[in-house]
Amino acid sequence: MTTSATSRPGRRAFLKGMVAGGLLAACPVQTAGAPSSAPVPVPTETVFTTCDMCFNRCGVAARVTGQGKERRILKLDGNPHCSKSRGMLCARGNAAIAMLDPAERLTTPLLRTGKRGENKWKSISWEEAYTLMADKLRGIARDHTPCGMLFTPGADTHSQFVKRFAEAYGSFNVTTHESLCLLSGHRAFMDTFGEVPQPDLLHCDYAVMLGANRFEALVMPDTADAMQAMRRGAQLIVLDPRPTKTARLANEWYAIRPGTDLAFLLAVAHVIIHENLYDRAWVEAHTTGLEQLAEHVRSCTPQWAAAETDIPAEAIIRIARGLAAAAPRSMIYPGRRTSDYVDSTQIRRAFAIVNALLANYDRKGGLMSTPAVALKGYPLDAPWYDHNQEDRVDAAMAPMLFKAEGAFVLTREAILAGKPYPVKGWFLYKTNPLGTAPDRARTLAMMEKLDFIVCMDVQLSDTAFMSDLVLPAPFYLERDDPYFVVQGGPAGPAVMTRSAVVPAPGQCKPAFEVMQELARRLDLADCFNFSLAELKARQEAGLPGLKEATAEKGLLELDVPLYGLRAGQPFKTPSGRIELFSQQYADKGLDPMPVYQTPAKAPQDRPFRLVAGRSAAITQSASTNNPLLFELEPGNTLDMAPEAATALGLRDGDMVRVTSSVGEECLRLAVVPGMRADTVYMHTGYGGLSPARKRVHGVGGSIVALQESAADAICGNSAIHTTYVRVTRHTETV
Amino acid sequence: MRHLKSVLALTLITCLCASMAFAVEGNSRKGKFLYRKHCRTCHGVNASDLSPSSKVQADWKKLYANMGTIPCQKDWGAISDADKKDIFSYLHEFAKDSPTPASCQ
Repeated sequence: MTTSATSRPGRRAFLKGMVAGGLLAACPVQTAGAPSSAPVPVPTETVFTTCDMCFNRCGVAARVTGQGKERRILKLDGNPHCSKSRGMLCARGNAAIAMLDPAERLTTPLLRTGKRGENKWKSISWEEAYTLMADKLRGIARDHTPCGMLFTPGADTHSQFVKRFAEAYGSFNVTTHESLCLLSGHRAFMDTFGEVPQPDLLHCDYAVMLGANRFEALVMPDTADAMQAMRRGAQLIVLDPRPTKTARLANEWYAIRPGTDLAFLLAVAHVIIHENLYDRAWVEAHTTGLEQLAEHVRSCTPQWAAAETDIPAEAIIRIARGLAAAAPRSMIYPGRRTSDYVDSTQIRRAFAIVNALLANYDRKGGLMSTPAVALKGYPLDAPWYDHNQEDRVDAAMAPMLFKAEGAFVLTREAILAGKPYPVKGWFLYKTNPLGTAPDRARTLAMMEKLDFIVCMDVQLSDTAFMSDLVLPAPFYLERDDPYFVVQGGPAGPAVMTRSAVVPAPGQCKPAFEVMQELARRLDLADCFNFSLAELKARQEAGLPGLKEATAEKGLLELDVPLYGLRAGQPFKTPSGRIELFSQQYADKGLDPMPVYQTPAKAPQDRPFRLVAGRSAAITQSASTNNPLLFELEPGNTLDMAPEAATALGLRDGDMVRVTSSVGEECLRLAVVPGMRADTVYMHTGYGGLSPARKRVHGVGGSIVALQESAADAICGNSAIHTTYVRVTRHTETV
Repeated sequence: MRHLKSVLALTLITCLCASMAFAVEGNSRKGKFLYRKHCRTCHGVNASDLSPSSKVQADWKKLYANMGTIPCQKDWGAISDADKKDIFSYLHEFAKDSPTPASCQ
């Protein structure tokens, strides 16, 4: 695909119409804590970079003053040139500035001197840290093969170097945060469409969101697109057991019974097929298995689904007809986090199947094919080790793992069992499984099986706190990154830049430098035979205009076609078509079409299903301790329906004890009108273990301490909506 | 008689091809190493002109069954049959319609 630096004025000018012109001006800024009579510092320079407070990667304009040691960031704004983020920056993006305070940060390598969890450390030099790591990694490879090391990179741009090191070292065991989040959805869409499409909410006229809370759990550009589409009259239907802000703002909201999304979707398919509401020519030309699907959903009537979902049959029929009438500018919104149930891949297959019936693929207002954008790099020639394991430690534990991502929950079980082989070391970079993986006690037990744990991060996260060696990483505003691609749905793809705006505190080192030096000490220098500057130069050479555009605007937006990309081409599936019926699933003994099962009843002594979600002001455990964001979300509550609270004799603000089969936590109750009476909710990222994260250490309840361990039966993705809890009054003085 | 022999020969070739086509069962991880060592020098170095995701699994199977038709085969030197099987296993496992299509690297 050819690309050019020329922006298409129509599309992007339209999107940028949303951006307030004032953002372009660098206004005088009142810094926090400055006395009102003090002179207001004025930024003298704007540096464009890319936010790293969450996965969205929004463009940032850092307003800077001073030079050398006096250089500091006064304020962060959205980059007005960034179409994906509409020139905006959310609360988390703004609060990034608080992370520059060295008091919030790791600034030197720390070696544990007490037992894990005793919080006894000594500062060591990088030389000592490298020597220790090289010795330990050499020993683990010798005694347990290279696969005896587990690597868990984060999601930022330097994470690729941790993966590169793992491959050079010879470990197949790389497990990412994605297997605690979104892989079920990816599995489902890959196996149905052959790719993971992007939603075009901007041009959509009728969207159904199941569980997605796009007006709080922000995803750009989807959040902005949904708002804008609704302003011009698009219909948004939300199915969620909680009265989220998205639910409250939707045209229709149904408090669906948790675990019954699939019944709803099969009934929607039933109505569309049996009322002949689909574009027969398109569906017949692009899909396979329509006849089997029609037969499969024959008995899935709206009346049947109503009894399962608590959504009236008339509403299901109306929604199905609404979707079909607006098609192809309609969709079942694919969502982002899909780690809900053990059959989440099949549930998300149903998302994909209904979208296929809407004929919305690769069309405006539907699901967009992702434009391919490749950046040049340095190829890796990793050595081959005859003395190694055959495969990943979790390879046989799910039939369709993503081999590059693995499955954290399954890997953890394999390590605990010591089978099929022992894993004895763990290297983590900017990810915190003790704050994000279900069943925290089980993760702690897994860590006890390991001889050596290294955690590299910007703060002493819970996982770093329980590690043996902690390495200080620079925050994104202090770091140079390689260029990277972001996909912006209807805003198109862009290549982003991230450059150090201010120096890092203390002895922080970027992951590239650490992995390169570690590789050198393990005789793997050939695998890192380039500098970051050389890598960026190669990327620039491969994409004309990149260097100039990023210098001027902080990004290069690529002018590529966004619709009709796959016209006339076979889909990347075994049949070359959209697979309503999956023969490869049948061949593996899996249901070739999603089969609904009524959720098991809650245990009598734990009647509430615990569900997870996100606030607009925090990103899991990574940002709850941020002083600015903590002002907005000072701890979490257990959200419960009024009738459920009344039945338990509880009132808003009471301290409650929440008990699951694996843990118990205490936090305040929030009575939330509109919640389903059988469901409770709490924010993630509180009740942390690490005393260094003082605002959230022991504050609120930890959801991962309560969540039971379960995994998607097809891809091994975590399943975090399978936990039932008991709620009682907490009588101790707090 | 000649016609019958031709039919038998064709049937035999078809069966042989079919059996070979489903015999891509080498070590795909080693195949990745071998592909980089033997193939990538010509087939580009990154986002190359040929990678596992250049073809669908069925096409890799066909190609494996008909290696004689591959234009660059003469340049393969002394790559053993076992190594070829590993390389094709890698190409097949990460084909563009596979559960895990290869990315650029």
